[in-house]
Amino acid sequence: MAASSKVSPSDEELMDAYVDGDDAAFRLLFERYAPILLRLTRRHLRDDEIAQEIVQHTFFRLHGARNDFRRGSKLRPWVMTIAMNLVREHWRRQKRRKVTDLEVDTQAAPQADFMPIELRQRSALLHGALERLPNSQREVVELHWFQERPYAEVAEIVGTSEGAVRVRAHRAYTTLKQLLVSEIRGDE
Amino acid sequence: MTSASDRPDDGLGERLRELDAAGVPETGPLFDEMFSELKARCDESDRTLAGFLRSRSTAARRMIVLSIFVFLGLVGWFAFPLIAAEGRSVQWTASLIAFCILLVLAMFMVTRPVHLPALPRWQSLCLICVAVGATIVAAFWPIPAALAATTHNHGGGFMAGACMGVGLLLGVPVYALLRLVDRGNALGNLVAAAAAGVAGNFVLKAHCSIAGTSHELLGHASVALVFVLGLGLVHRWIPSK
Repeated sequence: MAASSKVSPSDEELMDAYVDGDDAAFRLLFERYAPILLRLTRRHLRDDEIAQEIVQHTFFRLHGARNDFRRGSKLRPWVMTIAMNLVREHWRRQKRRKVTDLEVDTQAAPQADFMPIELRQRSALLHGALERLPNSQREVVELHWFQERPYAEVAEIVGTSEGAVRVRAHRAYTTLKQLLVSEIRGDE
Repeated sequence: MTSASDRPDDGLGERLRELDAAGVPETGPLFDEMFSELKARCDESDRTLAGFLRSRSTAARRMIVLSIFVFLGLVGWFAFPLIAAEGRSVQWTASLIAFCILLVLAMFMVTRPVHLPALPRWQSLCLICVAVGATIVAAFWPIPAALAATTHNHGGGFMAGACMGVGLLLGVPVYALLRLVDRGNALGNLVAAAAAGVAGNFVLKAHCSIAGTSHELLGHASVALVFVLGLGLVHRWIPSK
């Protein structure tokens, strides 16, 4: 791998190496992005098995689309866009199968056993609040807050204007505050 | 990175940070297992024709599809007799041009790169409706009545069935080709089905000299409808991975 001579090759260098046929570069990209994507998909889906499946499918699509990658492009928006497309598609299929809110609520939230009960309850409450957001707002919160992406990049990933993303984010944060108002007041 | 002023800075920010920190810790073995499965899936896919075609660049996939469309079109145009010159009206030409445009649009939709945000579903649904609608509208522009008088003695029902069979057969390779280059666009199967119906209609419109709106509705326009409804139902009952 050409990039291996450096201490830490960039994502784009790894992707270039992978496009040139270096399988080790694909493995490194997976190690970098899989944990990020798994957290993202778990937050959205609250189902470990489906979250893992979507992470694998994201990389499967990345593998199929590797010859579209152009030198100078940024890899992160690529990966995030593929993942968010898959998450959206999953929600759409869920909706089609008429999965009720009740069924979603009864799914096990991804919570670790080591978490204190209070933290677990607070986490479940916030998950519930996030789930009540429209998908378009939830994905903006995911990318803007949790992934720390700037609005311009979020807009690129979700396929809308920066202004629309700002509006969605503002509405989402306002709704979340309203939903968690008592808790937030308690914190302050 | 996101500037601090962009993000909620009060109790909500605190809660979101808490949630982020409360995720399940990932372990190495889980990712090793996931990667092994992924690699096996990629290797398996690379060995198939679909995997080979889908992994070509978007420009290459589009060139492949366009080349095959043009090749099939030229073979069909020159190898088989077109309808009589009297029947080649402005509407006939307009129908063929409209079918070509719809085929190209469907090809662009189906070969859309997956690293771009998915197209809104209404756009795909719109194309599907327009494609089916175009084949119905074209049926109301049959070849002139002068030709109809000489051709209506063949038994309309049987000939409509024959045309429908031919149209469906001709649409199958178009459907297969578009599915082979589709990397997994939502509604890609229905867009490909609509394109297959339009391709079948293109050939029938160019070559079928049986006149009459009823024949064209039953034997030609039905091809697109059968493709879209049939494959739509099949995919609903047997959802893809």
